[in-house]
Amino acid sequence: MKPFRFRATVNGRPVDLPVDPRRRLLDVLREDLGLTGTKEGCGEGECGACTVLLDGRPVNACLVLAPEAAGCDITTIEGVAVEGRLHPIQEAFLEAGAVQCGYCTPGMILAAKALLDKDPRPTDQAIKTAVSGNLCRCTGYVKIVKAVRLAAARLAREEGAV
Amino acid sequence: MTGQADGKMPAVSSVIGRSCPRVDGADKVTGSALFAADRRMEGMLYARVLRSTVPHAVLRRIDAEAARAVPGVAAVYTAADIPGENRVGIIVKDEPVLVDDRIRRVGDPLALVVAGNEQALAAAMSEIEVFYEELPAVFSPEEAMAGGAPAIHGQGNIQSVTRIVRGDVDSALKEARAVISRRYTTQMVEHAYLEPEAGLAAVVDGLVTIWVSTQNPHYDRREVARVLGIGQNRVRVVQSPTGGGFGGKLDISVQCLLGLAAWKTGRPVRMVYSREESMAASPKRHPCVIDYTSACDGDGRLLAVKVKIVGDTGAYASYGPATLKRAAVHATGPYEVPNVFIESYCVYTNNPTAGAMRGFGVPQVAFAHESQMDLLAGALGLDPFTIRLRNCFRPGGVTATGQRLLHSVGIKETIDRARAKAEELGMLEGKR
Repeated sequence: MKPFRFRATVNGRPVDLPVDPRRRLLDVLREDLGLTGTKEGCGEGECGACTVLLDGRPVNACLVLAPEAAGCDITTIEGVAVEGRLHPIQEAFLEAGAVQCGYCTPGMILAAKALLDKDPRPTDQAIKTAVSGNLCRCTGYVKIVKAVRLAAARLAREEGAV
Repeated sequence: MTGQADGKMPAVSSVIGRSCPRVDGADKVTGSALFAADRRMEGMLYARVLRSTVPHAVLRRIDAEAARAVPGVAAVYTAADIPGENRVGIIVKDEPVLVDDRIRRVGDPLALVVAGNEQALAAAMSEIEVFYEELPAVFSPEEAMAGGAPAIHGQGNIQSVTRIVRGDVDSALKEARAVISRRYTTQMVEHAYLEPEAGLAAVVDGLVTIWVSTQNPHYDRREVARVLGIGQNRVRVVQSPTGGGFGGKLDISVQCLLGLAAWKTGRPVRMVYSREESMAASPKRHPCVIDYTSACDGDGRLLAVKVKIVGDTGAYASYGPATLKRAAVHATGPYEVPNVFIESYCVYTNNPTAGAMRGFGVPQVAFAHESQMDLLAGALGLDPFTIRLRNCFRPGGVTATGQRLLHSVGIKETIDRARAKAEELGMLEGKR
Protein backbone atom coordinates (compact mmCIF):
# COMPACT_ATOMS: atom_id res chain seq x y z
CA MET A 1 0.00 0.00 0.00
CA LYS A 2 1.15 3.53 -0.82
CA PRO A 3 2.69 5.15 2.26
CA PHE A 4 0.86 8.05 3.83
CA ARG A 5 2.80 11.21 4.60
CA PHE A 6 2.29 11.66 8.32
CA ARG A 7 2.79 15.26 9.37
CA ALA A 8 2.00 16.31 12.90
CA THR A 9 3.41 18.04 15.95
CA VAL A 10 4.59 15.58 18.59
CA ASN A 11 5.56 17.01 21.97
CA GLY A 12 6.06 20.42 20.37
CA ARG A 13 8.30 19.16 17.56
CA PRO A 14 7.27 18.82 13.92
CA VAL A 15 7.20 15.25 12.58
CA ASP A 16 7.11 14.31 8.89
CA LEU A 17 7.46 10.66 7.92
CA PRO A 18 5.97 8.10 5.54
CA VAL A 19 3.76 5.51 7.25
CA ASP A 20 1.57 2.63 6.15
CA PRO A 21 -1.94 4.15 6.48
CA ARG A 22 -3.20 0.94 8.10
CA ARG A 23 -0.96 1.41 11.12
CA ARG A 24 -2.17 2.70 14.45
CA LEU A 25 -0.97 5.95 15.99
CA LEU A 26 0.33 3.74 18.86
CA ASP A 27 2.69 1.89 16.49
CA VAL A 28 3.98 5.07 14.88
CA LEU A 29 4.70 6.59 18.30
CA ARG A 30 6.35 3.47 19.74
CA GLU A 31 8.07 1.95 16.72
CA ASP A 32 8.87 4.84 14.36
CA LEU A 33 9.40 7.65 16.87
CA GLY A 34 10.73 5.48 19.72
CA LEU A 35 8.30 7.05 22.20
CA THR A 36 7.80 3.87 24.22
CA GLY A 37 6.36 5.66 27.22
CA THR A 38 2.97 5.13 25.56
CA LYS A 39 2.01 1.58 26.58
CA GLU A 40 -0.12 -1.11 24.95
CA GLY A 41 -2.22 -2.98 27.50
CA CYS A 42 -5.08 -4.42 25.46
CA GLY A 43 -5.05 -3.05 21.91
CA GLU A 44 -8.80 -2.58 21.92
CA GLY A 45 -9.50 0.62 23.80
CA GLU A 46 -10.42 -0.98 27.12
CA CYS A 47 -7.48 -0.16 29.41
CA GLY A 48 -6.32 3.35 28.53
CA ALA A 49 -2.59 2.56 28.92
CA CYS A 50 -1.96 4.07 25.47
CA THR A 51 -3.71 7.38 26.26
CA VAL A 52 -2.18 10.38 24.49
CA LEU A 53 -3.54 13.87 23.90
CA LEU A 54 -4.73 14.87 20.41
CA ASP A 55 -5.14 18.65 20.43
CA GLY A 56 -5.54 18.41 24.19
CA ARG A 57 -8.17 15.67 24.08
CA PRO A 58 -7.36 12.23 25.58
CA VAL A 59 -7.59 9.34 23.08
CA ASN A 60 -6.61 5.68 23.03
CA ALA A 61 -3.69 5.59 20.57
CA CYS A 62 -4.54 1.95 19.80
CA LEU A 63 -7.89 3.01 18.33
CA VAL A 64 -6.57 5.88 16.22
CA LEU A 65 -5.24 5.16 12.74
CA ALA A 66 -2.10 7.18 12.06
CA PRO A 67 -3.70 9.26 9.25
CA GLU A 68 -6.48 10.33 11.64
CA ALA A 69 -3.88 12.05 13.81
CA ALA A 70 -2.24 13.89 10.93
CA GLY A 71 -2.11 17.63 11.45
CA CYS A 72 -2.78 17.28 15.16
CA ASP A 73 -0.84 18.51 18.13
CA ILE A 74 0.05 15.24 19.90
CA THR A 75 1.28 15.04 23.50
CA THR A 76 2.75 11.82 24.86
CA ILE A 77 4.11 11.19 28.37
CA GLU A 78 7.59 12.16 27.10
CA GLY A 79 6.26 15.67 26.45
CA VAL A 80 4.79 16.31 29.89
CA ALA A 81 7.97 17.22 31.80
CA VAL A 82 9.41 20.51 30.60
CA GLU A 83 13.21 20.82 30.23
CA GLY A 84 13.80 17.94 32.62
CA ARG A 85 11.52 19.43 35.29
CA LEU A 86 8.67 17.18 36.37
CA HIS A 87 5.18 18.54 35.77
CA PRO A 88 3.19 19.11 39.00
CA ILE A 89 0.96 16.16 38.05
CA GLN A 90 4.02 13.89 37.80
CA GLU A 91 5.30 15.16 41.16
CA ALA A 92 1.90 14.62 42.73
CA PHE A 93 1.71 11.03 41.44
CA LEU A 94 5.08 10.29 43.07
CA GLU A 95 4.23 11.99 46.35
CA ALA A 96 0.77 10.50 46.72
CA GLY A 97 2.02 6.94 46.06
CA ALA A 98 -0.10 6.76 42.92
CA VAL A 99 2.64 4.90 41.03
CA GLN A 100 3.12 1.19 41.64
CA CYS A 101 3.94 -1.04 38.66
CA GLY A 102 3.87 2.08 36.51
CA TYR A 103 2.29 0.58 33.42
CA CYS A 104 -0.93 2.61 33.63
CA THR A 105 0.92 5.71 34.85
CA PRO A 106 1.65 7.47 31.53
CA GLY A 107 -1.96 7.13 30.38
CA MET A 108 -3.26 8.09 33.80
CA ILE A 109 -1.11 11.25 33.91
CA LEU A 110 -2.26 12.31 30.44
CA ALA A 111 -5.91 11.71 31.33
CA ALA A 112 -5.35 13.85 34.44
CA LYS A 113 -3.62 16.54 32.39
CA ALA A 114 -6.51 16.71 29.92
CA LEU A 115 -8.85 17.23 32.87
CA LEU A 116 -6.81 19.85 34.73
CA ASP A 117 -6.09 21.85 31.56
CA LYS A 118 -9.86 22.37 31.20
CA ASP A 119 -11.08 22.19 34.81
CA PRO A 120 -8.44 23.46 37.27
CA ARG A 121 -10.61 22.80 40.35
CA PRO A 122 -12.27 19.46 39.68
CA THR A 123 -14.53 17.68 42.13
CA ASP A 124 -13.58 14.12 43.13
CA GLN A 125 -16.39 12.92 40.89
CA ALA A 126 -14.91 14.83 37.94
CA ILE A 127 -11.50 13.26 38.66
CA LYS A 128 -13.01 9.78 38.79
CA THR A 129 -14.85 10.40 35.54
CA ALA A 130 -11.69 11.72 33.88
CA VAL A 131 -9.71 8.54 34.69
CA SER A 132 -12.65 6.18 34.18
CA GLY A 133 -11.18 5.03 30.87
CA ASN A 134 -7.86 4.12 32.48
CA LEU A 135 -7.50 0.81 34.28
CA CYS A 136 -5.07 0.35 37.15
CA ARG A 137 -4.62 -3.13 38.65
CA CYS A 138 -2.30 -2.16 41.55
CA THR A 139 -3.42 0.94 43.43
CA GLY A 140 -7.17 0.62 43.82
CA TYR A 141 -7.41 4.19 42.40
CA VAL A 142 -7.66 5.96 45.79
CA LYS A 143 -4.12 7.32 45.61
CA ILE A 144 -4.52 8.24 41.96
CA VAL A 145 -7.54 10.42 42.78
CA LYS A 146 -5.58 11.88 45.69
CA ALA A 147 -2.66 12.65 43.35
CA VAL A 148 -4.87 14.49 40.87
CA ARG A 149 -6.41 16.49 43.73
CA LEU A 150 -2.92 17.34 45.01
CA ALA A 151 -1.80 18.35 41.51
CA ALA A 152 -4.82 20.61 41.12
CA ALA A 153 -3.97 22.37 44.39
CA ARG A 154 -0.33 22.79 43.35
CA LEU A 155 -1.24 24.15 39.93
CA ALA A 156 -3.70 26.60 41.50
CA ARG A 157 -0.94 27.84 43.82
CA GLU A 158 1.48 28.23 40.88
CA GLU A 159 -1.16 30.20 38.97
CA GLY A 160 -1.66 32.41 42.00
CA ALA A 161 2.07 33.06 42.27
CA VAL A 162 2.36 34.28 38.68
CA MET B 1 23.56 -0.02 55.14
CA THR B 2 20.74 -0.02 57.62
CA GLY B 3 21.88 -2.92 59.82
CA GLN B 4 24.82 -3.08 62.18
CA ALA B 5 27.16 -5.89 63.17
CA ASP B 6 25.52 -6.31 66.57
CA GLY B 7 22.10 -6.66 64.91
CA LYS B 8 20.81 -3.36 66.27
CA MET B 9 19.29 -0.80 63.99
CA PRO B 10 21.06 2.54 63.72
CA ALA B 11 19.40 5.29 65.74
CA VAL B 12 18.54 7.23 62.58
CA SER B 13 17.61 5.25 59.51
CA SER B 14 17.54 6.79 56.06
CA VAL B 15 14.49 4.78 55.02
CA ILE B 16 12.68 2.97 57.83
CA GLY B 17 9.75 4.94 59.24
CA ARG B 18 9.96 7.55 56.53
CA SER B 19 8.12 8.17 53.30
CA CYS B 20 10.69 7.74 50.54
CA PRO B 21 10.36 8.31 46.83
CA ARG B 22 10.23 5.07 44.81
CA VAL B 23 13.62 4.29 43.30
CA ASP B 24 11.98 3.85 39.88
CA GLY B 25 9.31 6.52 40.36
CA ALA B 26 10.77 9.32 38.23
CA ASP B 27 11.34 6.93 35.29
CA LYS B 28 7.78 5.70 35.51
CA VAL B 29 6.12 9.15 35.55
CA THR B 30 8.21 10.43 32.63
CA GLY B 31 7.79 7.35 30.44
CA SER B 32 11.50 6.59 30.33
CA ALA B 33 11.26 3.29 32.27
CA LEU B 34 12.02 0.51 29.79
CA PHE B 35 9.53 -2.32 30.14
CA ALA B 36 10.41 -5.51 28.24
CA ALA B 37 8.26 -4.64 25.20
CA ASP B 38 9.99 -1.24 25.02
CA ARG B 39 13.42 -2.79 24.41
CA ARG B 40 14.90 -3.17 20.96
CA MET B 41 18.27 -4.21 19.61
CA GLU B 42 20.02 -3.92 16.27
CA GLY B 43 19.03 -6.82 14.00
CA MET B 44 16.23 -7.90 16.33
CA LEU B 45 13.81 -10.65 15.27
CA TYR B 46 10.20 -11.09 16.38
CA ALA B 47 8.71 -14.31 17.73
CA ARG B 48 5.20 -15.66 18.20
CA VAL B 49 3.96 -19.05 19.26
CA LEU B 50 1.24 -21.09 17.58
CA ARG B 51 -1.15 -22.44 20.21
CA SER B 52 -3.55 -25.34 20.24
CA THR B 53 -7.22 -24.73 19.58
CA VAL B 54 -8.35 -28.05 21.07
CA PRO B 55 -8.24 -28.98 24.77
CA HIS B 56 -7.03 -32.57 24.58
CA ALA B 57 -5.36 -34.44 21.70
CA VAL B 58 -2.47 -36.62 20.65
CA LEU B 59 -0.14 -34.51 18.56
CA ARG B 60 0.85 -36.46 15.43
CA ARG B 61 2.82 -34.06 13.29
CA ILE B 62 3.47 -30.40 12.59
CA ASP B 63 4.15 -29.37 9.00
CA ALA B 64 5.96 -26.06 8.95
CA GLU B 65 7.56 -26.21 5.49
CA ALA B 66 5.23 -23.61 3.93
CA ALA B 67 5.66 -21.34 6.96
CA ARG B 68 9.46 -21.54 6.69
CA ALA B 69 9.19 -20.47 3.04
CA VAL B 70 7.34 -17.23 3.86
CA PRO B 71 9.64 -14.29 2.99
CA GLY B 72 11.07 -12.74 6.14
CA VAL B 73 10.73 -15.88 8.26
CA ALA B 74 14.00 -16.84 9.96
CA ALA B 75 12.88 -20.12 11.52
CA VAL B 76 10.00 -22.21 12.77
CA TYR B 77 10.83 -24.39 15.78
CA THR B 78 8.98 -27.37 17.18
CA ALA B 79 9.67 -29.65 20.16
CA ALA B 80 12.32 -31.55 18.17
CA ASP B 81 14.48 -28.39 18.11
CA ILE B 82 14.78 -28.15 21.90
CA PRO B 83 18.35 -29.11 22.82
CA GLY B 84 17.74 -29.88 26.51
CA GLU B 85 14.74 -31.01 28.58
CA ASN B 86 11.32 -30.14 27.21
CA ARG B 87 9.53 -29.93 30.58
CA VAL B 88 9.25 -27.04 33.01
CA GLY B 89 7.32 -26.37 36.22
CA ILE B 90 8.00 -24.74 39.59
CA ILE B 91 7.04 -27.83 41.65
CA VAL B 92 6.42 -30.61 39.11
CA LYS B 93 8.16 -30.64 35.71
CA ASP B 94 5.02 -31.50 33.75
CA GLU B 95 4.63 -28.67 31.21
CA PRO B 96 6.22 -28.74 27.73
CA VAL B 97 7.92 -25.66 26.31
CA LEU B 98 6.59 -26.87 22.93
CA VAL B 99 4.21 -29.83 22.87
CA ASP B 100 5.90 -33.09 21.84
CA ASP B 101 3.25 -35.76 22.46
CA ARG B 102 0.01 -34.58 23.98
CA ILE B 103 -2.03 -31.38 23.87
CA ARG B 104 -3.64 -30.87 27.29
CA ARG B 105 -5.43 -27.54 27.00
CA VAL B 106 -6.53 -24.87 24.55
CA GLY B 107 -3.52 -22.59 24.29
CA ASP B 108 -0.76 -25.20 24.61
CA PRO B 109 2.31 -23.99 22.65
CA LEU B 110 2.95 -26.04 19.47
CA ALA B 111 5.39 -24.16 17.24
CA LEU B 112 7.54 -21.05 17.56
CA VAL B 113 7.84 -18.72 14.57
CA VAL B 114 10.73 -16.27 14.33
CA ALA B 115 10.74 -13.57 11.66
CA GLY B 116 12.20 -10.21 10.71
CA ASN B 117 8.90 -8.38 10.97
CA GLU B 118 5.39 -8.73 12.39
CA GLN B 119 3.74 -9.14 8.96
CA ALA B 120 5.89 -12.17 8.10
CA LEU B 121 5.10 -13.62 11.55
CA ALA B 122 1.39 -13.34 10.99
CA ALA B 123 1.62 -14.82 7.49
CA ALA B 124 3.74 -17.76 8.66
CA MET B 125 1.42 -18.57 11.56
CA SER B 126 -1.44 -19.28 9.18
CA GLU B 127 0.76 -21.54 7.02
CA ILE B 128 1.56 -24.05 9.78
CA GLU B 129 -0.39 -27.30 9.60
CA VAL B 130 -1.00 -29.26 12.78
CA PHE B 131 -2.11 -32.91 12.66
CA TYR B 132 -3.65 -34.34 15.81
CA GLU B 133 -6.19 -36.84 17.09
CA GLU B 134 -8.64 -35.35 19.53
CA LEU B 135 -9.22 -37.10 22.85
CA PRO B 136 -12.17 -36.82 25.24
CA ALA B 137 -11.51 -33.91 27.60
CA VAL B 138 -12.55 -33.15 31.18
CA PHE B 139 -13.54 -29.66 32.30
CA SER B 140 -14.27 -30.11 35.99
CA PRO B 141 -12.41 -31.80 38.85
CA GLU B 142 -15.55 -33.81 39.55
CA GLU B 143 -15.39 -35.42 36.07
CA ALA B 144 -11.61 -35.72 36.30
CA MET B 145 -11.79 -37.62 39.62
CA ALA B 146 -14.52 -40.00 38.44
CA GLY B 147 -13.64 -43.57 37.52
CA GLY B 148 -12.85 -44.04 33.82
CA ALA B 149 -11.99 -40.35 33.25
CA PRO B 150 -9.30 -39.78 30.60
CA ALA B 151 -5.96 -39.54 32.40
CA ILE B 152 -4.38 -36.23 31.46
CA HIS B 153 -0.86 -37.08 32.59
CA GLY B 154 -0.82 -40.83 32.10
CA GLN B 155 -2.23 -41.81 35.50
CA GLY B 156 -5.04 -40.65 37.79
CA ASN B 157 -5.93 -36.97 37.65
CA ILE B 158 -5.46 -36.30 41.37
CA GLN B 159 -2.16 -34.45 41.35
CA SER B 160 -1.77 -34.27 45.14
CA VAL B 161 -3.75 -34.56 48.39
CA THR B 162 -3.24 -32.77 51.70
CA ARG B 163 -4.85 -34.03 54.93
CA ILE B 164 -4.92 -32.31 58.30
CA VAL B 165 -6.38 -34.28 61.21
CA ARG B 166 -6.70 -33.06 64.80
CA GLY B 167 -8.83 -34.62 67.56
CA ASP B 168 -12.03 -36.53 66.76
CA VAL B 169 -14.42 -34.67 64.49
CA ASP B 170 -17.18 -37.30 64.38
CA SER B 171 -17.59 -37.47 68.16
CA ALA B 172 -17.52 -33.68 68.43
CA LEU B 173 -20.27 -33.36 65.79
CA LYS B 174 -22.56 -35.55 67.94
CA GLU B 175 -22.15 -33.25 70.96
CA ALA B 176 -22.70 -30.03 69.05
CA ARG B 177 -25.61 -27.66 69.62
CA ALA B 178 -25.45 -26.24 66.06
CA VAL B 179 -24.08 -27.86 62.91
CA ILE B 180 -23.94 -26.07 59.56
CA SER B 181 -23.00 -27.81 56.29
CA ARG B 182 -22.73 -25.96 53.00
CA ARG B 183 -21.04 -26.23 49.62
CA TYR B 184 -19.09 -23.18 48.42
CA THR B 185 -17.83 -22.77 44.87
CA THR B 186 -15.35 -20.13 43.72
CA GLN B 187 -14.53 -19.15 40.17
CA MET B 188 -11.40 -19.01 38.04
CA VAL B 189 -9.82 -15.54 38.08
CA GLU B 190 -7.39 -13.97 35.62
CA HIS B 191 -4.83 -11.61 37.16
CA ALA B 192 -5.15 -9.17 34.23
CA TYR B 193 -1.97 -7.30 35.10
CA LEU B 194 -1.93 -4.29 32.84
CA GLU B 195 1.30 -5.28 31.07
CA PRO B 196 1.02 -8.41 28.92
CA GLU B 197 3.98 -10.83 29.09
CA ALA B 198 7.04 -9.71 27.12
CA GLY B 199 10.74 -10.32 26.80
CA LEU B 200 13.86 -9.82 24.72
CA ALA B 201 16.71 -12.34 24.47
CA ALA B 202 20.19 -11.97 23.02
CA VAL B 203 23.23 -14.25 22.89
CA VAL B 204 26.63 -12.61 23.24
CA ASP B 205 29.83 -14.69 23.53
CA GLY B 206 27.85 -17.82 24.41
CA LEU B 207 25.92 -16.08 27.21
CA VAL B 208 22.12 -15.87 26.84
CA THR B 209 20.66 -12.72 28.36
CA ILE B 210 16.90 -12.39 28.71
CA TRP B 211 15.20 -9.16 29.76
CA VAL B 212 11.75 -10.18 30.80
CA SER B 213 8.59 -9.17 32.64
CA THR B 214 8.73 -11.68 35.49
CA GLN B 215 8.32 -12.20 39.23
CA ASN B 216 10.76 -15.10 39.33
CA PRO B 217 14.10 -14.45 37.59
CA HIS B 218 16.08 -17.13 39.48
CA TYR B 219 13.59 -19.84 38.57
CA ASP B 220 13.48 -18.56 34.97
CA ARG B 221 17.24 -18.88 34.76
CA ARG B 222 17.25 -22.49 35.95
CA GLU B 223 14.52 -23.47 33.50
CA VAL B 224 16.11 -21.74 30.49
CA ALA B 225 19.42 -23.49 31.28
CA ARG B 226 17.69 -26.92 31.52
CA VAL B 227 15.72 -26.36 28.32
CA LEU B 228 18.80 -25.26 26.38
CA GLY B 229 20.96 -27.97 27.99
CA ILE B 230 23.60 -25.48 29.11
CA GLY B 231 24.99 -24.43 32.48
CA GLN B 232 23.23 -21.78 34.55
CA ASN B 233 26.44 -19.77 34.29
CA ARG B 234 25.59 -19.21 30.63
CA VAL B 235 22.11 -17.80 31.29
CA ARG B 236 21.37 -14.35 32.65
CA VAL B 237 17.82 -13.26 33.40
CA VAL B 238 17.18 -9.57 34.02
CA GLN B 239 13.83 -8.57 35.45
CA SER B 240 12.46 -5.63 33.48
CA PRO B 241 10.15 -3.18 35.21
CA THR B 242 7.17 -5.50 35.58
CA GLY B 243 3.74 -4.09 34.88
CA GLY B 244 1.91 -6.06 37.54
CA GLY B 245 2.13 -9.76 38.29
CA PHE B 246 0.01 -10.66 41.32
CA GLY B 247 1.42 -14.21 41.17
CA GLY B 248 0.66 -14.65 37.46
CA LYS B 249 4.23 -13.92 36.40
CA LEU B 250 5.82 -16.52 38.68
CA ASP B 251 5.52 -19.18 35.96
CA ILE B 252 7.38 -19.49 32.68
CA SER B 253 5.82 -17.47 29.83
CA VAL B 254 8.16 -16.23 27.08
CA GLN B 255 11.48 -17.04 28.81
CA CYS B 256 12.29 -20.50 27.38
CA LEU B 257 10.85 -19.76 23.93
CA LEU B 258 12.95 -16.60 23.69
CA GLY B 259 16.04 -18.42 24.95
CA LEU B 260 15.53 -21.09 22.30
CA ALA B 261 14.98 -18.61 19.47
CA ALA B 262 17.99 -16.44 20.38
CA TRP B 263 20.21 -19.49 20.98
CA LYS B 264 19.31 -21.07 17.63
CA THR B 265 19.28 -17.97 15.42
CA GLY B 266 22.14 -16.15 17.13
CA ARG B 267 20.09 -12.95 16.80
CA PRO B 268 18.29 -10.86 19.41
CA VAL B 269 14.63 -11.92 19.55
CA ARG B 270 11.65 -10.13 21.10
CA MET B 271 8.30 -11.61 21.99
CA VAL B 272 5.26 -9.74 23.28
CA TYR B 273 1.92 -11.36 24.10
CA SER B 274 -1.29 -9.71 22.97
CA ARG B 275 -3.91 -9.32 25.71
CA GLU B 276 -5.82 -12.22 24.18
CA GLU B 277 -2.76 -14.47 24.30
CA SER B 278 -2.01 -13.38 27.86
CA MET B 279 -5.54 -14.40 28.88
CA ALA B 280 -5.30 -17.72 27.03
CA ALA B 281 -1.82 -18.74 28.12
CA SER B 282 -1.27 -17.41 31.64
CA PRO B 283 -2.12 -19.24 34.89
CA LYS B 284 -5.29 -18.41 36.81
CA ARG B 285 -6.59 -18.48 40.38
CA HIS B 286 -7.72 -22.00 41.31
CA PRO B 287 -11.48 -22.43 41.12
CA CYS B 288 -12.48 -24.44 44.21
CA VAL B 289 -15.40 -26.53 45.40
CA ILE B 290 -15.43 -26.46 49.20
CA ASP B 291 -17.70 -28.69 51.29
CA TYR B 292 -17.65 -27.21 54.75
CA THR B 293 -19.22 -28.47 57.99
CA SER B 294 -18.85 -26.45 61.21
CA ALA B 295 -20.13 -27.35 64.64
CA CYS B 296 -20.32 -25.32 67.85
CA ASP B 297 -21.72 -25.50 71.38
CA GLY B 298 -24.57 -23.36 72.75
CA ASP B 299 -22.21 -20.44 73.44
CA GLY B 300 -20.99 -20.42 69.84
CA ARG B 301 -17.63 -22.01 70.66
CA LEU B 302 -16.36 -24.04 67.72
CA LEU B 303 -16.14 -27.75 68.47
CA ALA B 304 -15.24 -29.11 65.06
CA VAL B 305 -14.82 -28.39 61.38
CA LYS B 306 -14.77 -30.86 58.53
CA VAL B 307 -13.68 -29.53 55.15
CA LYS B 308 -13.14 -30.99 51.71
CA ILE B 309 -11.49 -28.68 49.18
CA VAL B 310 -11.17 -29.62 45.52
CA GLY B 311 -9.09 -27.27 43.40
CA ASP B 312 -8.94 -27.28 39.60
CA THR B 313 -5.28 -26.83 38.64
CA GLY B 314 -6.02 -27.24 34.93
CA ALA B 315 -3.64 -28.89 32.49
CA TYR B 316 -0.43 -28.43 34.50
CA ALA B 317 0.43 -28.39 38.20
CA SER B 318 2.15 -24.98 38.34
CA TYR B 319 1.80 -23.79 41.96
CA GLY B 320 -1.28 -25.98 42.45
CA PRO B 321 0.10 -28.44 45.04
CA ALA B 322 1.28 -25.57 47.26
CA THR B 323 -1.88 -23.50 46.72
CA LEU B 324 -4.15 -26.37 47.74
CA LYS B 325 -1.89 -27.18 50.69
CA ARG B 326 -2.17 -23.60 51.85
CA ALA B 327 -5.93 -23.66 51.38
CA ALA B 328 -5.99 -26.69 53.71
CA VAL B 329 -3.72 -25.07 56.31
CA HIS B 330 -5.92 -21.95 56.40
CA ALA B 331 -9.27 -23.76 56.16
CA THR B 332 -10.15 -23.13 59.83
CA GLY B 333 -9.51 -19.40 59.39
CA PRO B 334 -8.27 -17.35 62.36
CA TYR B 335 -10.20 -19.56 64.80
CA GLU B 336 -9.19 -22.17 67.32
CA VAL B 337 -10.89 -25.49 66.60
CA PRO B 338 -10.16 -28.54 68.77
CA ASN B 339 -11.36 -31.15 66.27
CA VAL B 340 -10.43 -30.86 62.62
CA PHE B 341 -10.57 -33.03 59.53
CA ILE B 342 -9.44 -31.29 56.33
CA GLU B 343 -8.83 -32.85 52.94
CA SER B 344 -7.58 -30.83 50.00
CA TYR B 345 -7.25 -32.15 46.44
CA CYS B 346 -5.27 -30.64 43.59
CA VAL B 347 -6.77 -32.03 40.38
CA TYR B 348 -5.73 -31.97 36.72
CA THR B 349 -8.34 -31.06 34.08
CA ASN B 350 -8.13 -29.80 30.49
CA ASN B 351 -8.90 -26.26 31.66
CA PRO B 352 -6.41 -23.36 31.68
CA THR B 353 -3.62 -23.95 34.19
CA ALA B 354 -4.18 -22.45 37.62
CA GLY B 355 -1.18 -21.24 39.59
CA ALA B 356 -0.29 -18.54 42.07
CA MET B 357 -2.54 -15.58 42.69
CA ARG B 358 -2.65 -13.17 45.62
CA GLY B 359 -3.61 -15.11 48.74
CA PHE B 360 -2.62 -18.46 47.22
CA GLY B 361 -5.73 -20.52 48.05
CA VAL B 362 -6.63 -18.55 51.19
CA PRO B 363 -9.29 -16.21 49.70
CA GLN B 364 -11.22 -19.27 48.53
CA VAL B 365 -11.41 -20.85 52.01
CA ALA B 366 -11.96 -17.46 53.68
CA PHE B 367 -15.19 -17.10 51.70
CA ALA B 368 -16.26 -20.46 53.15
CA HIS B 369 -15.18 -20.14 56.81
CA GLU B 370 -16.54 -16.61 57.20
CA SER B 371 -19.87 -17.57 55.63
CA GLN B 372 -20.00 -20.49 58.08
CA MET B 373 -19.38 -18.18 61.06
CA ASP B 374 -22.28 -15.93 60.02
CA LEU B 375 -24.57 -18.95 59.59
CA LEU B 376 -23.60 -20.35 63.01
CA ALA B 377 -24.18 -16.96 64.62
CA GLY B 378 -27.58 -16.79 62.98
CA ALA B 379 -28.50 -20.30 64.15
CA LEU B 380 -27.68 -19.38 67.76
CA GLY B 381 -29.01 -15.83 67.66
CA LEU B 382 -25.52 -14.42 68.31
CA ASP B 383 -23.99 -11.22 67.01
CA PRO B 384 -21.48 -11.95 64.17
CA PHE B 385 -18.77 -10.07 66.11
CA THR B 386 -19.41 -12.04 69.28
CA ILE B 387 -19.06 -15.47 67.69
CA ARG B 388 -15.80 -14.42 66.05
CA LEU B 389 -14.38 -12.95 69.27
CA ARG B 390 -15.28 -16.14 71.16
CA ASN B 391 -13.30 -18.28 68.73
CA CYS B 392 -10.46 -16.19 67.40
CA PHE B 393 -6.84 -17.08 68.06
CA ARG B 394 -5.08 -15.54 71.04
CA PRO B 395 -1.46 -15.82 72.16
CA GLY B 396 -0.99 -19.37 73.46
CA GLY B 397 -3.59 -20.78 71.07
CA VAL B 398 -2.95 -23.82 68.87
CA THR B 399 -3.71 -23.94 65.14
CA ALA B 400 -5.18 -26.89 63.23
CA THR B 401 -1.66 -27.91 62.22
CA GLY B 402 -0.52 -27.95 65.86
CA GLN B 403 1.40 -24.70 65.89
CA ARG B 404 1.32 -22.95 69.26
CA LEU B 405 1.07 -19.19 68.74
CA LEU B 406 3.64 -17.85 71.20
CA HIS B 407 3.86 -14.27 70.03
CA SER B 408 1.36 -11.57 69.13
CA VAL B 409 -1.91 -12.45 67.41
CA GLY B 410 -3.73 -9.50 65.87
CA ILE B 411 -7.16 -10.86 65.05
CA LYS B 412 -8.97 -9.85 68.27
CA GLU B 413 -7.68 -6.29 68.11
CA THR B 414 -8.54 -6.15 64.40
CA ILE B 415 -12.14 -7.23 65.03
CA ASP B 416 -12.48 -4.76 67.95
CA ARG B 417 -11.24 -1.89 65.85
CA ALA B 418 -13.29 -2.87 62.81
CA ARG B 419 -16.37 -2.94 65.02
CA ALA B 420 -15.56 0.49 66.54
CA LYS B 421 -15.01 1.93 63.06
CA ALA B 422 -18.23 0.43 61.74
CA GLU B 423 -20.12 1.88 64.71
CA GLU B 424 -18.51 5.28 64.20
CA LEU B 425 -19.63 5.25 60.54
CA GLY B 426 -23.14 4.16 61.48
CA MET B 427 -22.77 0.95 59.52
CA LEU B 428 -24.23 -1.26 62.25
CA GLU B 429 -27.50 0.60 62.65
CA GLY B 430 -30.47 -1.66 62.15
CA LYS B 431 -28.24 -4.70 61.92
CA ARG B 432 -29.07 -6.16 65.34
